Amino acid sequence: MNIKILDSWLREYLKTSANPKKIAEKLSLTSVSVERIEKYNNDFVYDIEVTTNRSEMMSIIGLAQEAATALKQSGIDATFIKREFNLPNIRLQKSPTLTIKFDEKLVNRISAVIMEIKIKESPKYVKERLEASGIRSLNNVIDITNYVMREIGHPTHVFDYDRLSNHTLIIRESKKGEQMKTLDGKEYTLSGGDIIADNGKGEIVDLISIMGTANSVVTNSTKRILFFIDNVDPHRLRKTSMEHGIRTEAVILNEKGINPERTSEALARGIELFQTLADGEIVSEIIDLYPNPSKETVIMLSQEKINKIIGIEIPIQKSMDILTSLGFLVSEQQGILHVTVPARMTGNDMLIPEDLIEEIARIYGYENIPDTLPSFQTATYFHLDKNDFYWEDHLKDALKYWGFTEVYTYPMVSEVLYEGPIDNAVTIENPLTDDMVYMRRTLIPSLLQVIKENQDHEIIKLFELANIYEKNNEELPKQSLKLAGVIHKPNASFWGVKGIIEQLLADLEIKNATFKQLSDRYGAMVVINKDEIGTVEILDNSTVTFELDFSLIIKYATVKKVYKQISKYPPIVEDLAVIARASVQTGELMDAIRNQSELIQEVSLLDKYQDTRTFHIIYQSYDKNLKDNEVGEIREKILKVLRAKFSARLKG
Amino acid sequence: MEEKLLSIKNNAISLILETQSPQELEEIRIQFLGRNGEITLLMKNLPKLPKEERPKMGIIFNEAKNIIEETIKTRERSLKETKSKNIPALDVTEPGIKPPLGHLHLVTQAIREITTIFTQIGFTRARYPEIEWDWYAFTSLNFPENHPARDDWETFFIKQQANPKKGSVLLTPHTSSGQVREMEKGKLPIKMLNIAKTYRRQSDVSHTQMFHQFEGLVVGENIAISDLKGTLNYFVKSYFGENRISRIRPYHFQFTEPSFEVDITCGICLGKGCRLCKEGWLELGGAGMVHPNVLKAGNVDPNKYTGFAFGWGVERVLMMKDGIQIDDLRILYNNDLDFLRQF
Repeated sequence: MNIKILDSWLREYLKTSANPKKIAEKLSLTSVSVERIEKYNNDFVYDIEVTTNRSEMMSIIGLAQEAATALKQSGIDATFIKREFNLPNIRLQKSPTLTIKFDEKLVNRISAVIMEIKIKESPKYVKERLEASGIRSLNNVIDITNYVMREIGHPTHVFDYDRLSNHTLIIRESKKGEQMKTLDGKEYTLSGGDIIADNGKGEIVDLISIMGTANSVVTNSTKRILFFIDNVDPHRLRKTSMEHGIRTEAVILNEKGINPERTSEALARGIELFQTLADGEIVSEIIDLYPNPSKETVIMLSQEKINKIIGIEIPIQKSMDILTSLGFLVSEQQGILHVTVPARMTGNDMLIPEDLIEEIARIYGYENIPDTLPSFQTATYFHLDKNDFYWEDHLKDALKYWGFTEVYTYPMVSEVLYEGPIDNAVTIENPLTDDMVYMRRTLIPSLLQVIKENQDHEIIKLFELANIYEKNNEELPKQSLKLAGVIHKPNASFWGVKGIIEQLLADLEIKNATFKQLSDRYGAMVVINKDEIGTVEILDNSTVTFELDFSLIIKYATVKKVYKQISKYPPIVEDLAVIARASVQTGELMDAIRNQSELIQEVSLLDKYQDTRTFHIIYQSYDKNLKDNEVGEIREKILKVLRAKFSARLKG
Repeated sequence: MEEKLLSIKNNAISLILETQSPQELEEIRIQFLGRNGEITLLMKNLPKLPKEERPKMGIIFNEAKNIIEETIKTRERSLKETKSKNIPALDVTEPGIKPPLGHLHLVTQAIREITTIFTQIGFTRARYPEIEWDWYAFTSLNFPENHPARDDWETFFIKQQANPKKGSVLLTPHTSSGQVREMEKGKLPIKMLNIAKTYRRQSDVSHTQMFHQFEGLVVGENIAISDLKGTLNYFVKSYFGENRISRIRPYHFQFTEPSFEVDITCGICLGKGCRLCKEGWLELGGAGMVHPNVLKAGNVDPNKYTGFAFGWGVERVLMMKDGIQIDDLRILYNNDLDFLRQF
């Protein structure tokens, strides 16, 4: 969350000779991040990012104290002008009544007062400070509530006291179906469990800590106000706010959990301002309902721990000075600091020693901590062939050097690109756009989409390595990496893609992959042992795709190299032109040839023309020079088998 | 004699085939066929043979002479051809015949560089689920249920029944979801690097619904803020250049205490402040000391061990690098080939 404040406003609580740039720099390096300083008339406005854990910095007072500490630590004169906001001690004879009832589970504290006021315009400085802060000025009464919120950091609210006809506020949980109209005229039906104020007649008169309602809000004819500061359970109001999308500045602050000690400060400051800017007169006693006051806490912090986490030795006195300056009470016993966190500083981010170490380290200055590197090495053994990042690089490089371009497409796809029964899809519950709703179960449609969008290129070769997702009952969806690719060019060849896969696998020392015809599609299943590792598919004349399971490939990949002795005897090479029916598969013919003798070292397809397939055969022995008649015998055996099994014969 | 003639002939032929110029060829011709050439001299012994062998030997001699002359002629022709064909025809300005060269995506190239930099100082890369339980993405990282800090993560949820223990199913909005998974392996110390896809409900010039982060997690017995500073400065100087400087500022994350925002000096003005960076610094990303509650969630004893973590955008560091002046992040995932083929 961001806060914008004027320099002159900050300086009401901060005395320093530092200029806005210096203040911004010191705040950014030790505390909250000042994102911008801009000229504003004769003034400057700081735009400051405040993290959710430091809601106390969403205030002039918080920032002034922080800036004073930071500036002082770096040797610049700076003083925090601390003001005590005390509630006036009022005793009235005949005061207007107000009954407030609430459940302690919902409410931490309520501070309130009834005042007579005059509605008018705010003075120029108030308007200017609010407007520089991003808040529209309406009238003095509303402006004061916002002014107090900026200065003290606690949201405040005003009711028109006379519109609360029963003079009663019951703060309770809403019931399912209850209706209300907020001050901006919008109507809501509540789902129950929201914190609301009921006027005693069952009507909702405030959505507590979030927004006022139309039926109780201050109007131009208001004479008496109920100035009302509520501090309630942040989780509940956050739920209400998120559910109905009501994100007022009040709720954004309140849901962070503001220390309830601040409600009385806000009330006191508000009374002061109503008196000076709205002719305000207090007409009731001060109401302050605080059933479980915040208590100070003590955190024990050892010097050893401070040094261990920061990485250098910080003198214990230095740590104590820093904490004291930030408002903690500190004493020391044998290297252990007893740090008292005052009630107004307690909160979710001030619970453990590490929280205090952060305070010490940031004020000490992160730039004063040296650079070191972790001194240990992890002792896990490294196995190259079990390292899938190694194989990932290997495969990607191979494809790159064969002319493929790598793409990254979105894993979320539209129904059209999903390709499959949509009810089985891993589906995003809160998609941002219609085209990114389903987690894909194949990469191919995304790749084809890329081709569609790049029609001006004649030859396209793409690949991607990414996860696909499948439902897995109650468990996390199954997520498996796929290596997919596509070749798109005139007369794209199945064998072109098959060859790429064969070579990819061969490079990983996988030599036993086979290709089995798909029954339902035009293409092949790639099989290693019994694992089906993926498919090659012909989609049309110019498009051939492949998609392989990455972890199944890696299962068989190895860096192990096997040396095979090189024969001392020269090979004998011959080409056999075989005539066979088209229905006889080349793979079958090659297997049949290869199986006829151990002396056949290699069989490859040299050429295919009409009904003739020419095989290139290499015969070689490791023991002797092969003689013509030995090769002749093997050739006879081959021809006999081809004839018997496939009715194939030698050409010519 | 026949054998001697055969060996002279073979020798002559092999010498002829090795010649590189007409002069050399002429020398060879004289050496074998000249007046005192080896063949001529051997022929002078012909009369010494028995009368009946002379005609047969005569024929053999003539054949040898013819073959040698023939070879010389052929060689002469081929030498001439080489001269006229090759030397003037070589046009070195003609384009080379290139083997295919494709392209790796810029993100892959960045991931490789980042990985290499961190493995130099002992980090090990790991993979974790991309679709994850709320427990690993938030709750175990010290985000209480329904905590406002969760809003900053703009998370996508998956339509699936929440698990009673691990919560709802979501697309990881940050790589920090790997932290407790890594600790659960039970192997300490840890020096882990997680580079993965991450998802957030945002789309504009600087956000895409899917992007990549790289996360470092170090857990050991004496890990301090100074180690975090040293590690990230090592990365900044390695990746961006030795003239760049990093700094840390206070920030807040639920899963680290203390938490930092990391800045580096602007590459244009090197920290002086310029039109591009305003104050001389560019935001790099978040980091911090691992929160004791996170260590506990990963079954690591926070009294014995401390750690640090950082998680930054791959696209972000890529775009902050010199030379890559991409003004709209979405172009990385539009997959325009004219773009992809530039890298």
